[in-house]
Amino acid sequence: MALSEPAAAAATFERRVLRSAGEHHYLRVWLELPDGGARPSAAQFKQLVVSALRELHGEVGAALPVDVLTYEEKTLSAILRVVSSGLVKLWSALTLLGFYQNRRCAFRVLQVKPCGDWIGQQ
Amino acid sequence: MAGFADLNLPQGSDKKSLQALLETAAHLGYSAVALNHVIDFKEKKQEIVKPVSPSELFPSLPVVQGTSKRIKVLTRLTLVISDPSHCNLLRSTSPNIRLYDIIAVFPKTEKLFHIACTTLDVDLVCINVTEKLPFYFRRPPVNMAIDRGIYFELLYTPAIKDSTMRRYTISNAISLMQICKGKNIVISSAAERPLELRGPYDVANLGLLFGLSEGEAKAAVSTNCRATMLHGETRKSACGIVYTVKKPRKVEEEETLPACKKAKTQA
Amino acid sequence: MSLPPLQRLRQAPRHLLVCEKGHARHARSRHAAHVRDHAYNCRVSFLIPECGLLPEVLKSTIADVGEYYLVRNLPVHELVAHDFIDAFVKKGSCYALTYKTKIDQDNTAALLPNGNLILSVDKDTYEELGLQGRPSKYSGKKVMRYIITIDLTDSGFHPDSKKHNRVLWALKENKPLEFDFLLAWYHTGAEGSTLVSYFSKNQIETLKPKITFSTLRDLQCPLLESNELYGKPEESCSTEELFEWLGAVLNQVSLDNKSSSFLSTYCCPQPNTIVEKAFLCTITGFIIPEKIIQLLEQLCCYFGEPKLACWLTLTVHGFADSPVSWRENEHGFHKGGENLYNFVIFRNLDYWLQMAVGTNDDCPP
Repeated sequence: MALSEPAAAAATFERRVLRSAGEHHYLRVWLELPDGGARPSAAQFKQLVVSALRELHGEVGAALPVDVLTYEEKTLSAILRVVSSGLVKLWSALTLLGFYQNRRCAFRVLQVKPCGDWIGQQ
Repeated sequence: MAGFADLNLPQGSDKKSLQALLETAAHLGYSAVALNHVIDFKEKKQEIVKPVSPSELFPSLPVVQGTSKRIKVLTRLTLVISDPSHCNLLRSTSPNIRLYDIIAVFPKTEKLFHIACTTLDVDLVCINVTEKLPFYFRRPPVNMAIDRGIYFELLYTPAIKDSTMRRYTISNAISLMQICKGKNIVISSAAERPLELRGPYDVANLGLLFGLSEGEAKAAVSTNCRATMLHGETRKSACGIVYTVKKPRKVEEEETLPACKKAKTQA
Repeated sequence: MSLPPLQRLRQAPRHLLVCEKGHARHARSRHAAHVRDHAYNCRVSFLIPECGLLPEVLKSTIADVGEYYLVRNLPVHELVAHDFIDAFVKKGSCYALTYKTKIDQDNTAALLPNGNLILSVDKDTYEELGLQGRPSKYSGKKVMRYIITIDLTDSGFHPDSKKHNRVLWALKENKPLEFDFLLAWYHTGAEGSTLVSYFSKNQIETLKPKITFSTLRDLQCPLLESNELYGKPEESCSTEELFEWLGAVLNQVSLDNKSSSFLSTYCCPQPNTIVEKAFLCTITGFIIPEKIIQLLEQLCCYFGEPKLACWLTLTVHGFADSPVSWRENEHGFHKGGENLYNFVIFRNLDYWLQMAVGTNDDCPP
């Protein structure tokens, strides 16, 4: 192997432990709508998430920074990112959302992970 | 088994929509549900009918997602009691009552809540989530119910349907938590449509909103439901010795595990 | 524990992230040991920046990741039979994990390559089994789950021993347990019998890992400095930033949002550089540590010849419902059963290793 640099100089062993360090939590969700209804665009989807937050947690909830990292209109599935202190609020807001444009709907939360890398199908 | 359970799927709906509910529940990861038959004594004379037989109703039950097991379906009877005379039915030895796996009461007054917690032979006490609490929760009956292995049921579907009810759900739940300290809570759906059902982890997270801790919230959709089912089983078999012919397997099970029975129902 | 309700709304579930820095060729480097100790892996992916075509040797390493097996309705007592122990457990490394069982709800079993059989069972099963175990760390005040560990290679576990008979009786007659199992066996040397022929009477299926390749174009990559785990402003990015970026890449998240954008404000950490192409490979299945060590070794060798890339990454996800994470550390599932690790290998063979677990886990080794 190419050991061009002296190993000892290159690597001083270092270890650190982080407890609940992630600033963000990630949610993989899909929106269940009755067949045949209008599908929200990406912007409408984000709007729906914000309005769910406002409905349950008021203006403070609506102000939570939430990112729609990916959204696929065809499958209505998305990956959301939220500051960790807002996870419970976002999650509960999605759970209690019952309507999109006066039609019934349900947010299905498929995965909740403390780091982006951890989201993935299994 | 300490899988997830939803102890309240209204049985009133027709068979097709019930099937859809079962499929969604299995898909969301619930390994057991209870079909709830409600009797409100305010509405004329009501008779307690025999419970439906889930195996007759649904010849093939859906498989719980991510497992290879089929969903377990129980029967439940809920009595809405608004007058002390309604309790007599529970005290009498109506044979049909005993056929239900779980028996719940929905007391409408403080006095009836007290009776339900302290003397009635039931498994669940329903908490009103659709209107302002008509009475205060008091410590003695609540503690007595906890000692007797009776659980309190909160519903989440009204909170999805209507923002006013959402407020009552949360505030009544928090009032109850102040007295019961998060113990003996079961959260169920009472969903009439698949789109009103939520997954068990979602419901557990909702529990935090009701004032439960992480552990208590998860227990409210899993181990506490299991304890309720076991409480029902014990109640059934306590007066079910007459029925040994009908339920030979049940009796056998009880015989092999007499010592841990008490511990199991408390767990 | 007993936080006021309003504070609970601000609390996210606990998780742990351990970051290590070392040198892959250092005599006392523990990186291979960490791979070996993480037995049950369902997904392995690696990303090589500035790489359009995979070298042949890496291709063949991937092709050699190996088959695994699914045996349906296998009674657990068959795993403690001495025919099985002598043929597989004592020769090479034998891995078994129950399939489609949920660690927070169901009974689960796992056989580790060191010969320890671990049963994670609920209270009822535990009481019926009559084998000695210890309460699970994550089942709360009222214990609802127990962990039983049986050392199959223990000298006291010979065919006629009291211990063996007791275990056999418990699993065969007292409380027969049956699961679908994922199995894999790694051995060197003489051909013995195979798992397929051994379990020919059971339903056994041979499965191949699923492998996908893709080439990512014009990818924004963070700049990393092997000596700077924490990163340095304006010079290099930290481990956490890399971790988050990697997640974004694996999920095809767009990396160039503006802070004013409505949908998402995520962007690639600073400083970064655009690479023309990057090679991404993902393997899913039941992947044993021996094969991951081989792959890791080949990835180190990638830098044996001069390359444009400054670093590459290897990410390994553990099964969310496995009863252990590293070694025999108990693993649980609270709201996500994460247990995974990620290597960043630098051109000079320095490495960063990030190990992460969720709420119901011990600290990684």
